[in-house]
Amino acid sequence: MTLPRLGAVVSGNVGRALVPIVAVAAILAVLPSVWFGDSPFTTSLAVKALVFAAYGIGFNLIFGCTNQLFLCVGALAGIGGYGAAILTDETSLPMAAGVAVGTASAAIVGGLLSWIAVRRSLGVIFTGIVTLVFSLAFANLLLGQRDLTGAETGLVVTAAPAGLADDRVGAYYAFAGIVVAFLIVFRALQLSHVGWAFRGLRDDEMAAELAGVDVARYRIYAATVGSAMIGLIGALYAYSSGFISPATYAFDQVDVRVLVLVAFGGLGTLLGPVIGAAAFAILDERLSTSLELREVTYGIFVVAIFLGFRRGVVHAVVGVFNRLFGRRSRGRT
Amino acid sequence: MRAVILDGIVLGLAFGLLGVGMTLVYGLGGVVNLAYGQIVVLAAIVASLVMNEGVSTALAAVVGVLAAAGVAVLLDLTLMRPVYREQGEERILLGLLLTLGAAFVIGGLLTWRYPTGALYINISGEPISILGVPMAVGSIWASVIALVVGAALLLFFGATTFGRGVRSVIQDEIGARLVGINPSFVRTVIFALSGALAGIVAITSSMSGPLTVNAGFELTTFALIVTVVGGLGSVAGAFLAGVLLGVVNTVSAQYIGQYITSVILLGAAALTILIRPRGLLGR
Repeated sequence: MTLPRLGAVVSGNVGRALVPIVAVAAILAVLPSVWFGDSPFTTSLAVKALVFAAYGIGFNLIFGCTNQLFLCVGALAGIGGYGAAILTDETSLPMAAGVAVGTASAAIVGGLLSWIAVRRSLGVIFTGIVTLVFSLAFANLLLGQRDLTGAETGLVVTAAPAGLADDRVGAYYAFAGIVVAFLIVFRALQLSHVGWAFRGLRDDEMAAELAGVDVARYRIYAATVGSAMIGLIGALYAYSSGFISPATYAFDQVDVRVLVLVAFGGLGTLLGPVIGAAAFAILDERLSTSLELREVTYGIFVVAIFLGFRRGVVHAVVGVFNRLFGRRSRGRT
Repeated sequence: MRAVILDGIVLGLAFGLLGVGMTLVYGLGGVVNLAYGQIVVLAAIVASLVMNEGVSTALAAVVGVLAAAGVAVLLDLTLMRPVYREQGEERILLGLLLTLGAAFVIGGLLTWRYPTGALYINISGEPISILGVPMAVGSIWASVIALVVGAALLLFFGATTFGRGVRSVIQDEIGARLVGINPSFVRTVIFALSGALAGIVAITSSMSGPLTVNAGFELTTFALIVTVVGGLGSVAGAFLAGVLLGVVNTVSAQYIGQYITSVILLGAAALTILIRPRGLLGR
């Protein structure tokens, strides 16, 4: 990846840096009225896509920006979701308190995992295995603590306002707003000194460390913020769907998909997770008629994607664009 | 207590056998084969189909093992080629994603065609008493096969020229190339061996209970844990880790409870990475 132009951090360019986000926000805003407003099926598919786009942004911040392979997106979302649900279930606190506690718990756990990985200087693969192990342990804890979590039967989550829980279009706008907010946070981080540190440590960790970037601190920082995002979505999703079970946050339901869609969109890019989530939502819709072969098609798709464009759609498109118009690569997309 | 520990050793040998196939591929090129469990399942389904045709169990088992080895070689010759062209973390990530895709394809096809498929090899006979504990004949067969395979592998890697060549690639790919070893050929052979081991796992584990079509993911996870605890590319380490984890598993399942046992096993794997990232017998 080439270094970004110096101008990228000058305030005059902030407006231009927000253009993609404004475009996404505009598309998300008009999508229900022009396309699927009256179809509950398509709307809930869109809600699911938004949830995964948001998970993807959090994961992208952790893995795409700072190279920490967190295979525990589902578990972090589950900490958020179960934390929030159990809190509002046992006490009579409002939903906001549940969401706050869920988000904070996920942030703490994610930060802690990152701290451990950094302290023991685990590489990509070992960080992946430790977090995978954490995911599976968490799933077993959910199954084991039957009194608290309801195990396989799941947990009915109340305390959500009707606009979020019963109205799918309402839920759509809530999650769309959050995706846009996450994109703004992501872009703001990219434009600040944090973004510089991220790019430095992603390109060459040793060089970044030698240049005075506190790699450990930025890693833990990225993991904490990313995990908070994931926990927030996990908690909100629990309230919006009104029911959670271990399957809601299972590794094979969440992590696999998030990893694939972020890698498909383009690791470390702003719009990668959104594009990936949209692509997989469309794939899901197409495959909804042939449920039996869904897994196979999904697998073939994954293999084809990663044999075809390794670095993701965003990088591929930017590459073609730059070649066509002779612009130098900006390294920031 | 004695019975529990013996059960643990039986389970542990099965774990060890399961881990060996994954640890070899992992140690050889840094590829975590996430389709490993699905290859085990494939061998089981092929063997059960052949058995349904009225072929003898032993022959069906051989066909199953060969099928698994064949699929593994196919993976190596197709999907793994671009993976091995990459270096370092790119290679790891691409390997993860492509084998994940392969796992979906193999697992999906099997559950689609044979949704109720399962392999169960029933070995009849009176329980045999070992150290005063009656053990099922199937478990003893499975353990003996695991021990024989483990010994054969140790002999292969310790005493044959090709085995030493494999170890040299594990230690230093460039160095191995310099002394005239072709890493790509070695990897193909090891993929075939890994597939065959997956097939043997399918046969032995179906001797004590049915191996169903959707066991793939769980098998991959256990193989991964054994690999991590035992050390990359270490045959003896995989068996040692397998037996340790097996004993911990049965003891804790007996005295503490099922779900907590899984947490303890996973905790052991995490702890190994944190305290001794090379694994028990890793370099």
